[in-house]
Amino acid sequence: MRTLRSIRNRGKRTKLKPLDLDITSLLDILVIMLVFLLKSYNSSGVTFNIPKDISLPQSASQTINTMGVNVQISPTTIWVDSKVVLDTKESTPKSYDRGGKRILPLYDELVAKRKMIQEVEKASPQAKKFSGIANLLVDKSLKYSYLKKVLYTIAEAGYSKYKFVVLGENL
Amino acid sequence: MYRVPSRRRNDVEPERLNLIPILDAVFIFIFFLLMSANFVKVYEINSNIPILSNVPVPKVIKKPLNLTLEIFNNRIDVLTGIPSRKAKSISKDGSGEYDLERLHNYLITLKGRYLYERTVILEPKVDLDYEKIIGVMDAIRMFRTTDQGFYYKDKKTGADVRVENLFDDIVFGNIKS
Repeated sequence: MRTLRSIRNRGKRTKLKPLDLDITSLLDILVIMLVFLLKSYNSSGVTFNIPKDISLPQSASQTINTMGVNVQISPTTIWVDSKVVLDTKESTPKSYDRGGKRILPLYDELVAKRKMIQEVEKASPQAKKFSGIANLLVDKSLKYSYLKKVLYTIAEAGYSKYKFVVLGENL
Repeated sequence: MYRVPSRRRNDVEPERLNLIPILDAVFIFIFFLLMSANFVKVYEINSNIPILSNVPVPKVIKKPLNLTLEIFNNRIDVLTGIPSRKAKSISKDGSGEYDLERLHNYLITLKGRYLYERTVILEPKVDLDYEKIIGVMDAIRMFRTTDQGFYYKDKKTGADVRVENLFDDIVFGNIKS
């Protein structure tokens, strides 16, 4: 007793062992999270901005998305890369030409996009080439007569491929 | 000369693994995956834009399929050949929906005869909803897991190669009309 209480041994009392945390449960959670995230990993690198008004149709397709100019079409509005190009409430007969088949504001915006990509392509050899792909995010209630006008306008603007963006069935 | 074994040897604690670096790596990995996670599965359906040309049609030895689907209000007509002839008419089912199952099965029989054909011209003649067009496209594009498989001989290797898709090269034929 005398030796423990002595001044010489006082410093030793404060040397406590470091707290040993059990991180097994944390590791379990991390592994589960890792598996879940790996499953929902988007390998294409393509992201879409889907406006509120657009409800995409479901499809059995499993084809991964490709980069292109995004054309979003709701029953009332048309966007190109999230920029509003036509609001049907404000559209006039001048918004259409070629017997109402071509949507002029959409055509102008798509041509401007194409030219911009092609100019960048010329300026920089490392820039991505113009793929001619138009990614179509179309509301499922849209009628074919209207969709036809959009498809015609895209073709007229010098694009060569349509990619219809759809929701996967395995949600 | 017998000696009691020392207890000290058994008192050595097993060395604990240092998990800190691996935990750091896992955390970084999780942040990276969270950033690129796609919680809504979005895919695409490919379609080519029809090209109009004044060049005369080249002579082909083998008869092309020239598969065309005309969608009417009450039926889907399947046309084949040049000039197009109606090969099959598929009416709506009892519930008033297009009988896509029958259409799919008929296209499988056609694929059996024309293994290398991939193109189909889609011509909706009525003002359909976009969702219904996607339904028709699904029926004509892909084989299902329960469908009969088709194989062709690879010219280079001589190995049997499975035909992956039904008619996946979809072209809208009437966008100019």
